Amino acid sequence: MGGRLRLGRRRVPLDDGDTIASAMYRAGIRTFSRSLKYHRRRGLYCGTGECPNCLVTVDGVPGVRSCVTPARDGMRVRREGGWPSVERDVLSVLDRLHALLPVGFYYKTFIRPRWMWAMADRIIRRSVGLGRLPVGPVVAGTSRHLHCDVLVVGGGESGRAAAVSAAARGERTVLCDEGEVPDPPEGVEVLARHAAIGTYEGPMVSLASGEGLVEVHPERVMIATGATELHPVFPGNDLPGVMLGRAAAGLVRRGVKPGVRAVVVVEHDEGFEHLEALRSAGVRIAAVVVPGSLGSAVPDGLRTLVGADVLRAEGRERVRFAVLRDAEGVTRGIGCDVFVLSTGRSPRDDLLRMSAQGEPVEAVGDAAAAASPKEMSTAGYVCLCEDVSVADLERAWDEGYRSSELLKRYTTATMGPCQGAMCGRHLAAFAAARGAAANAARRTTARPLARPTPLEILAAPVHEVIDKRTSLHDLHVAAGARVGWSGPWLRPFAYGDDPQEEYRAVRERVSVMDVGTLGKFLLTGPDAKDLVDDAFPTRVDDLAPGRARYLLALDEAGYVFDDGLLCSLGAEGWYVTSTSGGADRMEGWLRDRADRCGFRAHVVDLTAERGATLVAGPLARELLVGLTDDPIDREAFPHMGVREVTVAGVPCGAIRAGFVGEVAFELHHPRSRGPDLWRAIVEAGAPLGLAPHGLDALEVLRLEKGHPYVGQDTLPDDTPAKLGLEWAVHAGKRFAGSHALERLAGSSPERRLVGLEFDRGGAELRGVPLRVGARIVGRVTSAARSPILDRSIGLGWIRREPEGLFPEELRADRVGVRVVPTPFYDPAGDRLRG
Amino acid sequence: MALRVPCPNCGWRPSTEFAWGGELRPVEAPDVESDFARVFLPENAAGEQAERWFHLLGCRRWILVQRDTTTNRVR
Repeated sequence: MGGRLRLGRRRVPLDDGDTIASAMYRAGIRTFSRSLKYHRRRGLYCGTGECPNCLVTVDGVPGVRSCVTPARDGMRVRREGGWPSVERDVLSVLDRLHALLPVGFYYKTFIRPRWMWAMADRIIRRSVGLGRLPVGPVVAGTSRHLHCDVLVVGGGESGRAAAVSAAARGERTVLCDEGEVPDPPEGVEVLARHAAIGTYEGPMVSLASGEGLVEVHPERVMIATGATELHPVFPGNDLPGVMLGRAAAGLVRRGVKPGVRAVVVVEHDEGFEHLEALRSAGVRIAAVVVPGSLGSAVPDGLRTLVGADVLRAEGRERVRFAVLRDAEGVTRGIGCDVFVLSTGRSPRDDLLRMSAQGEPVEAVGDAAAAASPKEMSTAGYVCLCEDVSVADLERAWDEGYRSSELLKRYTTATMGPCQGAMCGRHLAAFAAARGAAANAARRTTARPLARPTPLEILAAPVHEVIDKRTSLHDLHVAAGARVGWSGPWLRPFAYGDDPQEEYRAVRERVSVMDVGTLGKFLLTGPDAKDLVDDAFPTRVDDLAPGRARYLLALDEAGYVFDDGLLCSLGAEGWYVTSTSGGADRMEGWLRDRADRCGFRAHVVDLTAERGATLVAGPLARELLVGLTDDPIDREAFPHMGVREVTVAGVPCGAIRAGFVGEVAFELHHPRSRGPDLWRAIVEAGAPLGLAPHGLDALEVLRLEKGHPYVGQDTLPDDTPAKLGLEWAVHAGKRFAGSHALERLAGSSPERRLVGLEFDRGGAELRGVPLRVGARIVGRVTSAARSPILDRSIGLGWIRREPEGLFPEELRADRVGVRVVPTPFYDPAGDRLRG
Repeated sequence: MALRVPCPNCGWRPSTEFAWGGELRPVEAPDVESDFARVFLPENAAGEQAERWFHLLGCRRWILVQRDTTTNRVR
């Protein structure tokens, strides 16, 4: 294949089958990164994508595991952790300052004076790290769901065998692997380059891939992730040139000679394969170290040290000597430039341990095998990711952190990119060796994520976001509306550059708004009235057919969860509207009451089927008179009336009600006829100066009327009394939540939603705390500048003062605030009823 | 996360399609004090309990589910 990597100013030539790391190694690079804290040189170590040593930044993406990532021509590779460079790192001075930077130092130092920490924080952040995250908005990845009988994680020998036998039993089988899966088995769906990042309840396994997130929902999971080679701990175990057997063999496989002269430690069978690989590549074997049980397995002609102990590795920039103590107790230093360790296996079982007890998740193959036991030395690096040495663990232990979980939290061991793959068992063994009880010497809890995962994957939506649109959506877009999200709906916020123009159309002339997003429910059946009576605190018995009433929705705790309108349709039943965002909850509430109280009533959700168009403004009636033959004068169709009206040939259920405080007709019509009706209204309104209004104008209009938005101005435990809406509750009536309100009847609320008038300002005041002096006593929930009143108004909640009164003079940041009665505009409602 | 719920209308569906309605409780209580206990003091059982779930992204009906709160096993 050829080609080259770009590594700073260097060009690194590529061979067929190269990973990034093998190409770099061939080019003579031995230091792959600098360690997190002490800036020690770190070289290629595990070779299987476990340890943090070979993480590099590729084309701006940090945290790429160079030892398992295939190299491609033109990749820009950057080594991380050193300044000014990984080879010449002035911060390596930190390696001589261990005494100043003990484990947990940031809990104890830079505390006083307080400004010290801010400075230290900046410096620490700059000096540590695995690279720089690209800055900018994260583009969410995509996600998909996959259902199958068996998911096998890991495409090695055991994984393939498990997948093949599951498929042979006729089970739908999916096999995933974070790398390639050459020669995919028949009858198995293979997902190569899909890394399992977590096992969840269900079971469900999340896979991260270049194409996005895959959530697999299998009946059974088989974890066949194999084992890593054991990470031995001894002084100098992190020197470049010290590497695990698999790393050395991996280099040989890619035609790279790991070194000239090797000392090889073999303590399990697999090590002999690695030894053979090294010999075949022409590496001189300076010595082979084996335990007594394997002494006879070493090929003839090699210098063999049976039963020798590894004392340490020595060297400055890379390993120069392996220092051993032989069986006779003699200490020898053996010169080498590569020190290969193959001392046992550590099963990769984190995905298994993440699953809850009793879940059908099992490990197979090496992942299920027992870990090789290993004594820990008294010095050396336990956690390569976080630069935690045995000495650090000892210090933490002495400070009282005497369990594996506490050691983890204090030293941050196991918290790095490898998530304990190398050091997790050491941590538990360390605690056990010091006499910790069994439950304090366990391995720390495994949690997702099992692999470094890009933010794009984490941001991927798990569910398809359904964008709800009304039938008028295209007309809004064609009219140049700025459309945005409002809950699940896409709605117009403004049609032009001047929201005041839309506002003035409502207050001075006539306007139209798409309110098809409102929740709309028809309640029918013999018990429909009883259902309405039970479900809401509103008075129902005197609501005549053809009349509407403000509807407050309370849950069983007496808390307001929605509001809307209740319309009596006579023999046809009852029509309930809810807020746009509250429609789902309203439907659930109605069905819950109908089911549990045994009402013979149908709840028909018309939210999607019916559109709704609001015509509002002093000229609204004048406009509609030209479009209908039905009587709509003040006497025939008064405020809060409900009538059947045919407008421009479209049959509408019309309600004379409006949030905006002017003469208003809410026209509910078949969804499909929405565009016809809208066009006719806009055309007929043109001579009257009609302009449609969006949510931006509505925000000011409804605030002038002092109408709270449930959800924006309210809190989840707001009772009617807290909102000043007691008038909407019919006293003495039994309904869901009436007991709860009765309990509170004697006491007055500690918090109230009130009208506010500000000295100046507008919408930016929303969310600002309200204070008396320095004390926070409330919060602004809505604010706007009212053009017609030429005042800054809003809503907000305030707490009762300790003396028992509610404060009246407040401040929001530097703005003076007074508590005032609502509505701000047309308090008598003359314009609304006009 | 991937808990599945048996809907009598739609079959086993992921819990993410549902809204959780809390443990099954009596629909009303005779007086104010026992109503307080009914609304504000749930059993919160560690073990099996009857719950109501609303199949929001399915049949839009309330269903009754037996769930073990310690294992999340559902039937």
